[in-house]
Amino acid sequence: MSGSGLEKKERRYPMMIIEAITVILLVVGCFFFLAGTLGLLRFPDLFTRLHALTNADNLGLGFIAAGMALHFGSPWTAIKIFLIWLLTLLSSATSSYLIARFRREENNPKNGKEG
Amino acid sequence: MSVVIDILMAILLIYLALRCMLAPELSKTIFTFFAFGLTLALAWIRLEAVDVAIAEAAIASGFMGVLLLDSLRDFSYALSKNPKNLELPENFTIKESNKSLLLPRLALGIGFVIFLLISMEATWKTPEGGGLTAVSEELLPQSGVEHPVTAVLLNFRAYDTWLEIGVILMGLLAIFAAGGVKNYRKPSMTAVDPLLRQVILFFIPVLFLFGAFLLYFGKTGPGGAFQAAVLWGSIGILFHLGGWPIFAMIPRKLRQFLLTMGLGSFLILGFLLMAAGGAMFEYPPAYAGILILIAETLAAISIAVALTAIYVYLTK
Repeated sequence: MSGSGLEKKERRYPMMIIEAITVILLVVGCFFFLAGTLGLLRFPDLFTRLHALTNADNLGLGFIAAGMALHFGSPWTAIKIFLIWLLTLLSSATSSYLIARFRREENNPKNGKEG
Repeated sequence: MSVVIDILMAILLIYLALRCMLAPELSKTIFTFFAFGLTLALAWIRLEAVDVAIAEAAIASGFMGVLLLDSLRDFSYALSKNPKNLELPENFTIKESNKSLLLPRLALGIGFVIFLLISMEATWKTPEGGGLTAVSEELLPQSGVEHPVTAVLLNFRAYDTWLEIGVILMGLLAIFAAGGVKNYRKPSMTAVDPLLRQVILFFIPVLFLFGAFLLYFGKTGPGGAFQAAVLWGSIGILFHLGGWPIFAMIPRKLRQFLLTMGLGSFLILGFLLMAAGGAMFEYPPAYAGILILIAETLAAISIAVALTAIYVYLTK
């Protein structure tokens, strides 16, 4: 970062901009994780906690993944990171849905059967 | 900076291990154990042992997690059905006097001190040349693979790996022998969720591809038969969770063949190599690569089937 700035100005600025965007993305991601953790700890029941957790996980991880993809700068790595985010999104959404569904059926079982 | 992360991770690991052992409820113990397993996997990555990390995450948190959650469900169901059998009485106290606890405590203390001394000794006495690293790297061209860990596991120390596959098979035999002893079974609440089935169908090709990649990539990088086997085994478990009992669909003879194939292929390979005039796992350098790949693939399939079988028999 330090040495290359003298020779070419137009090369320095994109680097700085990219780094700044990376840092902003990571900070935003961390904010979502923090908010999610706070929600998980403070919200009153399972459904709201799940809501906090999935929001935080998906958005927070998304921002961090975007930041890291930008940081590495190679399109191939970016695709891989994007795929990781997609898979995490899918599995976390499904597991949250299953947990919520389990709890709902536990609370009011179908067909009058005891759960 | 990285030292700070390492120290934080070490503290977190010890904290999680303590929380896991001291948790008041069984469910908390299990979930803390998941967190512990995942942190341990991260620690392995920090130590640059990616293959151990994959195995740790897949086996300790994935495979063990499924089994632990299932037993937790059974246990809580058993408790809710007739609490008197399993629950301790309200006013339960340990009635032994302090005197009888002195000896165990003393033994624990001595054991801890010995453990500390041994680990300090081991830390100080690290060989200067890095132990056997130089030797194994020198022999790497002859091993038929390019990654030192794979070379050690499947060529220099193939005997060990072969016996590990045997250990898994022995565990499975014990489960077969004791299988079906479950007293409590929570009736499954509803049919398998359609959404879950779709997601499972989506994940299965991904898992298969990742497993195959790890198996083949084991030649040149971290990964190998065990890691691939856990991923492939999870395919079988996912099929069962989605309500497709594929293990029962395979004919009995074929199941037995698949289960013993990994151990058997190593055995046959070893004896063939002996018959050809070498030591038990002394691969001829020219064919070492392909022989290792074949043995590894068969072993991976075998372990995957064994893991599925363990799951099926323990949750039946």
